[in-house]
Amino acid sequence: MRCERCGKELTNRIIKINGVTYCENCARLMGYDRFLKDPTDLLGDPFSPLDQLASSLMQMSELDFGNSTLTCPRCGMTLREFETDGRVGCIECYNAFNENIVREMFKQQGNSVYQGRLPAFSDEARTVPGKTDKPKKAASEDSPKAVEKAEPEAKEPKAEAPVKKETKGGLTLDKLMKADLGMLSDEDLEKGIKLAAEAEEYKLASRLRDELKGRKAGEANG
Amino acid sequence: MAEWYTKEGKDNDVVLSTKACFVRNIKGYNFMPRLDDKDCQSLIETIDKAIDKDMYMGGTASSFDKNMILRLTRLQLLGREASQMANPERKAFYYNEDASLSIAVGSGEHITVRAMAQGHNPNVIKEAALETLKLEEKLQVAFSDNYGFLTSNVRLAGTGFKLLYTVSLPAISKTEGGIEAMKQRVEQYEWTIYPFAERGDVSDSDVYIIASVNTLGVTEEEILRKGEMLIADVIKAERALRDEIAGNKKDQSRDIYGRSYGTLRYANMISRSEALQCLGWIRLFHDYDDSGEVEISWNKIDKLTMDILWEPEAPSRKSSQSVASQKYRAQGIKKILKGED
Repeated sequence: MRCERCGKELTNRIIKINGVTYCENCARLMGYDRFLKDPTDLLGDPFSPLDQLASSLMQMSELDFGNSTLTCPRCGMTLREFETDGRVGCIECYNAFNENIVREMFKQQGNSVYQGRLPAFSDEARTVPGKTDKPKKAASEDSPKAVEKAEPEAKEPKAEAPVKKETKGGLTLDKLMKADLGMLSDEDLEKGIKLAAEAEEYKLASRLRDELKGRKAGEANG
Repeated sequence: MAEWYTKEGKDNDVVLSTKACFVRNIKGYNFMPRLDDKDCQSLIETIDKAIDKDMYMGGTASSFDKNMILRLTRLQLLGREASQMANPERKAFYYNEDASLSIAVGSGEHITVRAMAQGHNPNVIKEAALETLKLEEKLQVAFSDNYGFLTSNVRLAGTGFKLLYTVSLPAISKTEGGIEAMKQRVEQYEWTIYPFAERGDVSDSDVYIIASVNTLGVTEEEILRKGEMLIADVIKAERALRDEIAGNKKDQSRDIYGRSYGTLRYANMISRSEALQCLGWIRLFHDYDDSGEVEISWNKIDKLTMDILWEPEAPSRKSSQSVASQKYRAQGIKKILKGED
């Protein structure tokens, strides 16, 4: 009997795929390696298919299928787009893809904690002693988790009832005081102003208002 | 006024230029990849209003003609790649009298403030930082306490600051394992070194860019401090190797030095890589030539090197390797050298 592809006389094994007879070499060249496995191979190494399955599953977990459809509510950028070219579409993306961004920053820089100066327009830069002259203090940890801890210095919330008042979005005065204002959405800022005014936290309300005003000014100036 | 790169700079036998670059984005606008044309127009107008017109000239890129684009490329305000000028209606460029300070709008991020100086000059950071502060006072920039200045490219988030030294390292390049050792040294400082390549990442000259990497976990001052330590190391290593090569192989080095000058001075056609190679040899042996036969200042060597490195793709020339290109290049070199011959 001869191989129907190369015409060589078949000596050792006869491999029949879809009714066509191949020699070992041609079967390999055609990409039919799986047909070349001897059934006894499995007996010799019964765990190898399981190993393959395990490694495939590990690769799948790296792809993060659970979040692949995550989309920024403001600009519509998807997590997949961010992962493809490493660029985000708007400020809100930093909230939407927070974990992935921190991971990316950490991978590149070995650090994800900001230690530079505050912007020139910032009220804090003018009023908080040392903040304009000195860089922010280094956070004690360099891990991505440290980002959560590296919030701006929070004022002690007053232990009065309004502090616990919560909006539908889960905003509390406590959270607002500790919040990174640059990361809040416009909607949260508006809610926060109302909440702060009701609680007579006028300093916080004015900070939130300034942040919102700054954003609107950017939009309106054009 | 003379263009910035024609001025005499410190340590210019090794360092061609020092550049500081700050990127910022404006609140209320999406970042460039998600900014529609209408908002982009509004952004350009907003930034235009904030720019000091007594100091800066320029404007929207769509108003630039071909000659202007060639000039901006020579001034190193634009990269050599054609993609730099894609979508000119979405970009604007401003620059001061000698083009040492520039503000690019829409090039990757909303604003890129850049200060450049010939040779080794850490003052560029102050200059760029000052211009950035002026803009921050007039515009509301995107900022977060956690991530610092927010950018579309998350690798720039934080200080949004990069410091770059363009260096010519003929002696290190010609020493076996020299560049590899230099790379390791640079990495110890958490900086990076890469060739000033015409295409891809393959070096076609002995010119390299040494650049800061981190924008998080580090202050602007620390970047400068590390950069200054690193560049001092690089200058020292390059000069020590030049001493060694010129001392141990003086006759051969002098011979190649003379030939290189002759080629540059009298060739009617010259390729980019040959011209850069000749300039590398001239740079290497310049301070050791006691014959007095070749007269060329460091300033001219640097100007020639930068002219060739930042040679724009002239519209009439199909490729930098074409006969027309090689003739054009040779004429330009001759013209500069003639002044001193």
